[in-house]
Amino acid sequence: MPLLSQEIATQVREYLADLTSPVRLVMFTQEFECEFCAETRQLVEEVAQLSDQVSAEIYNFVTDRQKADELGIDKIPAIAVLGAQDYGVRFYGIPAGYEFSSLIQAIRTVSAGWPELLSPEGVRRVSQITSPVHIQVFVTPTCPYCPQAVVLAHQMAVASPMVRADMVEATEFPHLALKYQVMGVPRTVINEKIHIEGAAPESMVLAKLEEALAGSKA
Amino acid sequence: MFQFSPGAKRYEVLIIGGGPAGATAALYTARAGLSTLVIDKGLTAGALGTTSRIVNYPGVPGPISGAELVRLMRDQAASFGAEFVNDKALRAELTGEEKKVWGGQGVYLGQAVIIATGAMGRARFVPGEERLLGRGVSYCATCDGAFFRGRQVAVAGNNDEAVEEALTLTRFASRVHFLSPTPELHASPHLAEELHSHALVSFYPAARLQEVIGAETVEAVRFTSAGQEQVIPVEGVFIYLQGNMPVTDFLDGQLPTSEGGCLLVDSNFQTAIPGVFAAGDVLCKHLKQAVIAAAEGAQVAMAVDRYLHGREKLRPDWSK
Repeated sequence: MPLLSQEIATQVREYLADLTSPVRLVMFTQEFECEFCAETRQLVEEVAQLSDQVSAEIYNFVTDRQKADELGIDKIPAIAVLGAQDYGVRFYGIPAGYEFSSLIQAIRTVSAGWPELLSPEGVRRVSQITSPVHIQVFVTPTCPYCPQAVVLAHQMAVASPMVRADMVEATEFPHLALKYQVMGVPRTVINEKIHIEGAAPESMVLAKLEEALAGSKA
Repeated sequence: MFQFSPGAKRYEVLIIGGGPAGATAALYTARAGLSTLVIDKGLTAGALGTTSRIVNYPGVPGPISGAELVRLMRDQAASFGAEFVNDKALRAELTGEEKKVWGGQGVYLGQAVIIATGAMGRARFVPGEERLLGRGVSYCATCDGAFFRGRQVAVAGNNDEAVEEALTLTRFASRVHFLSPTPELHASPHLAEELHSHALVSFYPAARLQEVIGAETVEAVRFTSAGQEQVIPVEGVFIYLQGNMPVTDFLDGQLPTSEGGCLLVDSNFQTAIPGVFAAGDVLCKHLKQAVIAAAEGAQVAMAVDRYLHGREKLRPDWSK
């Protein structure tokens, strides 16, 4: 029984039709699959069927430890979206509901290797970053405002080798929701300390990013 | 379970708000052959949609509910090809040739924009609301309900949106305290009935939310109901209150307004930015009557048609 309806599959196939560079969806699960691991694996496999440029690789989080470490995967289900290089684009938890479109957008952006949705000013400022930035965007699949925050974070990751960006589905990782005091989504956490509530515009996220970096140098 | 809306679609005209001004503008622009999208929050989101009985709309003897009248207007616009999307405008970039409007479900692109968002915005936050946003204060139960499993929450509001969100919360919360600013709900009868009969919902009529209380996260709400002040311990507060301010928050100050927050337009209903127009209650130019907003919708549509076609041939037309 496929997860994606025929209608959605057709739309995605059309949307990904003009990809010119390959994208690997590297997915981590385990032998006794966690609650959403099996569905996430199936989703990745189904999406890979929708474009010649997209492939799925499934790893075992426990036995393929080295691969997980190499990609910085610390929880499952996880998807690393890899292109010509690893841009640091990750999904933790199933990208279902509204987040499915974030996954498809990530595939396009990683394939292009260029943050097509960032403004020229945004690209310039993000590419000037010289120390590591980790953006975590907490979401729920039923949140229509969340993909905006996730897509923006992933664009920034593609714009700079210093930036990595995670979508984190908050209800699948309750310990993280607790740790980062997530009571509303989207909630963006930059380098563990800067928080943004809601889907903020690019200029505001850029300012917060620079604030996080200024703080770490001081 | 999987939502997908591929890359943004382009329209000649984007209309924000589907009340009498927006729906009438859509009727005229669609009929003029302009591709038209109306972005709207729902039938009972605006002033007309929440009016229960209309008997003075010309040609419609009624009595008819405001929501039904809005629906008739939209159906008529749709019959000429106007499209409608159920979404809320969150942000807009209006200065370029191509205007962009961000909604909860994606980005919409248009050559011209008509702002017809009405005047049911809230004037201010209640104390504690802004500080505790994301710390228990939320405007989206479908997004955040799961964080309040087994906890008590409050919902403030009285329209369809508030009732639907409260019903969503009953799937998670141990109790939903519903604070209606009016004695009766201004919602569709079947929704009101479902709320009133729900075992997990406590209904407080004529309840005015005064304060959201909490140090780090929400701990309680303070409100007055029937002259009595009450404090109820809750961990979440979902706010859907309305007021009588023009709805312009999504514009982030890109357009000049009067002191009262009303959008300013020229005699062609165009704002300070070329290609961006406004009509209806958001202008606060007139008494709030559906027929006047509808008339402005027709005028603004014709101005938009001239704007879009005038760009193609800049030759002055001396015959007018």
